[in-house]
Amino acid sequence: MSILFKVTRRDFLRDLGVGTGALVFGCSLGPELFASDKLRQLITTGIPLQGFISIKPLSGHITIFAHRSEMGQGIKSSLAAVLADELEADWGRVTVRQADADSVNFGVPAPYPIPGAPAVVRGEDAQFTDSSRSMAAYYMPMRLFGAAVRLVMTRAAAMKWSVPESELEARDQQIWHQRTGRSIQYHHLLLEANKVKVPETDEIKAVLKKPEQFRYIGKENIPFVDAKDMVTGKAVYGADVDRPGMLIAMIVRCPVANGTLKSFDATAALAVPGVRFVEAVIPDGFAAGTGGVGANFVPHAGVAVIADNTWAAWQGRRALLKNVQWDLGPNATYDSDDYRAELEASTSRPGKMVRRRGNVDEALGGAAKVVEAGYHIPHLAQAPMEPPAAIAVYEGGKWEIWSPTQGPELAQHYIGLAMLEPNPVKWLVWGATEPSELRDCERDTQKVFNESLARLLGVDQTALFKMRDDLKKLVRDKITVHVTLLGGGFGRKSNPDYAMEAAFLARNHPGVPIRVQWTREDDIKFSFYNAVSRQYFKAGLDASGHPTSLLHRSAFSSFFATLFPPAPDIFAKARAAFHNGGEYLYGSAIERAQGLEDNPYGTIDNLRVENSPAPNHIRCGWMRSVANIYHAFGLCSFADEMAVAAGRDSKDYLLELIGQGHMYTEADLKREDVPCYDNNLFPINRKMESIGGKEKEIMPGYPPDTRRLRAVAERVARESGWDAKKGKLPKGRGLGIAAHRSFLSYVAMVIDVSLNDKNELTINEIHAALDCGRVINPDRARAQMEGGIIYGLSLALLGEITVKNGAVVQNNFDDYPVLRMHQTPKIFTYFQEPSAEVVRTYPGEEVAVTGTGEPPTPAVAPALANAIVAAGGPRIREIPFYRKVVVL
Amino acid sequence: MHTVNADGNMPLLWVLRDILGLKGTKFGCGVAQCGACTVHLNGKAVRSCVTDVGVAALAEVTTIEGLSYDGSHPCQKAWMDLGVPQCGFCQPGQIMSAAALLKANPHPDDTAIDNAMRGNICRCGTYPRIRKAIHQAAGDPTS
Repeated sequence: MSILFKVTRRDFLRDLGVGTGALVFGCSLGPELFASDKLRQLITTGIPLQGFISIKPLSGHITIFAHRSEMGQGIKSSLAAVLADELEADWGRVTVRQADADSVNFGVPAPYPIPGAPAVVRGEDAQFTDSSRSMAAYYMPMRLFGAAVRLVMTRAAAMKWSVPESELEARDQQIWHQRTGRSIQYHHLLLEANKVKVPETDEIKAVLKKPEQFRYIGKENIPFVDAKDMVTGKAVYGADVDRPGMLIAMIVRCPVANGTLKSFDATAALAVPGVRFVEAVIPDGFAAGTGGVGANFVPHAGVAVIADNTWAAWQGRRALLKNVQWDLGPNATYDSDDYRAELEASTSRPGKMVRRRGNVDEALGGAAKVVEAGYHIPHLAQAPMEPPAAIAVYEGGKWEIWSPTQGPELAQHYIGLAMLEPNPVKWLVWGATEPSELRDCERDTQKVFNESLARLLGVDQTALFKMRDDLKKLVRDKITVHVTLLGGGFGRKSNPDYAMEAAFLARNHPGVPIRVQWTREDDIKFSFYNAVSRQYFKAGLDASGHPTSLLHRSAFSSFFATLFPPAPDIFAKARAAFHNGGEYLYGSAIERAQGLEDNPYGTIDNLRVENSPAPNHIRCGWMRSVANIYHAFGLCSFADEMAVAAGRDSKDYLLELIGQGHMYTEADLKREDVPCYDNNLFPINRKMESIGGKEKEIMPGYPPDTRRLRAVAERVARESGWDAKKGKLPKGRGLGIAAHRSFLSYVAMVIDVSLNDKNELTINEIHAALDCGRVINPDRARAQMEGGIIYGLSLALLGEITVKNGAVVQNNFDDYPVLRMHQTPKIFTYFQEPSAEVVRTYPGEEVAVTGTGEPPTPAVAPALANAIVAAGGPRIREIPFYRKVVVL
Repeated sequence: MHTVNADGNMPLLWVLRDILGLKGTKFGCGVAQCGACTVHLNGKAVRSCVTDVGVAALAEVTTIEGLSYDGSHPCQKAWMDLGVPQCGFCQPGQIMSAAALLKANPHPDDTAIDNAMRGNICRCGTYPRIRKAIHQAAGDPTS
């Protein structure tokens, strides 16, 4: 039927500014400068300047390329502002553009690699926007980069005018000569700039601005790059990319991890008007199997309905739904209720020791009082507002992809392997790494991996590395990944499974762009879930109520079981050594570093931390703050349980547990038998070897520093009026506190709640203090705190994914609810920069800049649970809380 | 005026996005749970993902693209001024709901705002700023 209706609108701009042709580089700083090997060493991190900036020779317009993905954290604005500040760019003539996946230009190795990750990921992660590390990793490189260009421009002007460099000043994208009143634009200096000798790193460091000279860094005036587009509907997310002749695919997926497609009948779906094709997503004979446990990012088995528009595809998919037969496989028996009992059993037995201080058993024997508790945290789905979507077109043996992705290079890499290398054993060469590039604690296991792989492929080590380099080059040549804005990521969009689906389908239809569109149901049912977990604690208190011993056991379905393919048996030894559990029953160093091994309660003389085994039957991955969610909920709740048992004020008790605090050293951690002290938990004054084998200190260290944890706890207690309110709150009202370090930042939170006689919960207000070193973009940092807290409230109050017969039960926001506006309390945020006394003890007397995206989330659930107890409510030891209190 | 040739049961959302190329209206849930697809139908906020295009026949539909020509609607200005968006994906829907609220109730209090906005989900957690921005757009004190 024909329908007539009126849409009031302005003329819609079809040029969406994404992927329309090649990225335009201006003359930039000239080919000589860019080609210079020296340039590659210009910045100690090894990041070449190219790729990050272009200066147009005619207009002088500067384009800064955002290499990290923008998903709401504001990094596209913040990093550009850091660069622009040192560059003395004129923001009115700066455009910030999202960069494509480009592992060559954006720097290998990344200055702050995914710690503990195997080499298959490391070195490809300059753009992998995760771990709250964009600012931690790129603050200093961006500053050095901006300052380097400014210095080159200054010297170019000195050359042009034959005046001493010292008489010149850079300002507003120009070089000024005060004495003669002359000035010249940067772009008019490009010719001279080419003749300038590339400055040495020390020279660049010498011209870095002093904090009082900052124009944007740390200030409220950093422009928000996409704000106007976002409020006028012009911002381009994944599904908004339009390509001529594009078809839309929706997919019926196997509900169970690792299940396979038996058969399907396309008749009914093809009868739907607008449906063009119905076809399997993963081609027959694809040797890497189907998505699930040990299948990395390979998509679930699925059948796609490809149609003229989204609605036709949706209707077609509905018609197809009952006409697909699966072989569900062994994971079809997975049941989250049974699994909960399994985890409880696992933590009732001794697990693998990951940290030890003193003798817990002995101390427990002599305790005046024993406190014991277990906590349950279910699977959680990230549920970003934008359901996954990706566009792919295959033409001339190459793929072009548009996707909202947190891992541009990961998407490129895995799409490339899946499309171009039929032998999945060869995929493993991506992970072959020269031992010289590794940290001490990884070298031996990597060697075993390299040797096993070389033997399996019948080549020597040199040939292995060449094979790797060739494969990487092939993948880079054949796969282009454009990154759109992300409508939220929260870890879901780190996994490029949905872009792989698009790439598979595109191959079947050369020249036809295909958009794979996920529904909300797809997103809820086919996430890479946050691990389900059980946390068990037992403490012995002395007569004063102070714990003399603490046992912490953690069982969780490690995401490593999902990420790493079941390699041939020959790797069993390497895997067993590398991940401390060949079957991936145990957590990785990354997960253990998130609130388990880094127990901050230094005043407990006897400590034993164990990781208990947990098998995996569903895809697990990353969700905002990841393992910190369950570890912080357990540990920070248990701290309060001990305070209650001791009859003490929760805040005073917490400060007593932390003590005055100290900066942990390598020796501390070795002494306490922490297995891999040099991971993201403990990169203490780490040095890393460059590709050339020259040792360079690349970043300041991030030692766990419980002085800073104490400081945020004290600050938030003061700001929230904890002491003043003590004993004065009406019946049914209470305060809870929690403090947790994650992603190298420190957060403490006080939550004020009321619980009425109908057990209805009201959250009155939340106070949160953050120490992330220097705050670069205060407004976005505050926004991240507000958002991180609200994300934490969602998961604490409402979050739960359950599984029956291997399939996820929940569907959409009606049965996987998230926080809404009327449930959102007043939030007060505070930045607690490290004290001068603390800063003085750091190398170079500078505390590194760290992240804000994830750190606010973990403390929410425990602070809330503790507040509910203080208000006279029940002790809640499981998520979601709505089962125990009424959430209106 | 647009003439489109579409199945009358096709939700307005997909007509706007796929047929008319108006991509400011977002798909978030498809079942009127999240509000990302909010548009105005004869001035009232509706969820376009569950509104059959047949219902919109001869009606006046306003999308985020039509709320103002230049981002000058008081809500859009307040949203930018207070830095409301994070990822921004839900904001067209949030703004359309807020604009409809302000049309019906020029000076809403917090309760009225909560009631009008509870159908719009934001996973980034911009709710406190949205609330403030609505007060600001109404010309009311923001705290």
